[in-house]
Amino acid sequence: MDRLEQKIKDTSKGMTPIVKTIVRFVMGIIVIFGAYVVLYGHLTPGGGFAGGVILASAYVLLTLAFGKEMGLSKMSNTGASILDNSGALAFVIIGLLGFTGGYFFYNFLPKGEAFHLFSAGSILLSNIAIGVKVTASVFAIFMALSIFGRIIYKAAEGEETESEE
Amino acid sequence: MILYFLSMVLFVMGLYCLVAKKNIIKKIIGIVIIEYSINLFLVLVGYRSGGIAPILLKGMQTEELVQKGVDPLPQALVLTSIVIGLGTLALMVALCLRMYEKFKTFDMSKINTLKG
Repeated sequence: MDRLEQKIKDTSKGMTPIVKTIVRFVMGIIVIFGAYVVLYGHLTPGGGFAGGVILASAYVLLTLAFGKEMGLSKMSNTGASILDNSGALAFVIIGLLGFTGGYFFYNFLPKGEAFHLFSAGSILLSNIAIGVKVTASVFAIFMALSIFGRIIYKAAEGEETESEE
Repeated sequence: MILYFLSMVLFVMGLYCLVAKKNIIKKIIGIVIIEYSINLFLVLVGYRSGGIAPILLKGMQTEELVQKGVDPLPQALVLTSIVIGLGTLALMVALCLRMYEKFKTFDMSKINTLKG
């Protein structure tokens, strides 16, 4: 907590302390809401993709408010790539496990009681896999664009000095 | 009917933004607005007031489902379209950054050379 206070008061990186304090409060709510949308995708509107985008937006908000180092300390580029691939792999494995019962994407888990959390068999697992993949890949896209943009901006800034940009 | 017309208005606004603006970021915003207006239109086509989820539960007659259930096809189509829209948006922004690297501007009218 003490290091977080220091990071909030450090004005050299990221946005102002007001934004950082608000992000600190809002962050947990966004993550909980994203996890809710992923986990209840088979019962309520939403699902793996929508919840994954919400979770990724939490990371994007953290990166925008606290600077690139904070975002990369939570999920590095390599970590995002690994999570991305493992999410896709988990989804394919869930599909292939259906062959234990008969065909591709066959529901091999017990169906449970309708309208409960553990009710829809393998749909919940698929949603979690898609959520992990979408979170990692959207965050990776954001980080790639921001790093790429910064390099280009520096190159353009160094070359042109007399232009009206 | 008025809702279809309003989504058409949204489409035309996006088209105006795509055609008339010179800044390429604004053009991208226009493309995204067009995309979302089409998504809205497709969702509106599939809307049915008082409709139920198209799931055949136990003890439900097939005729009841046919009469009340909404069409799942536009929803699935729009969900796929939103995902693809995110992918194309990331691609467009990346191409924009490449263009800024090459020409040092986002203005389309200043890019008047075909050779790099």
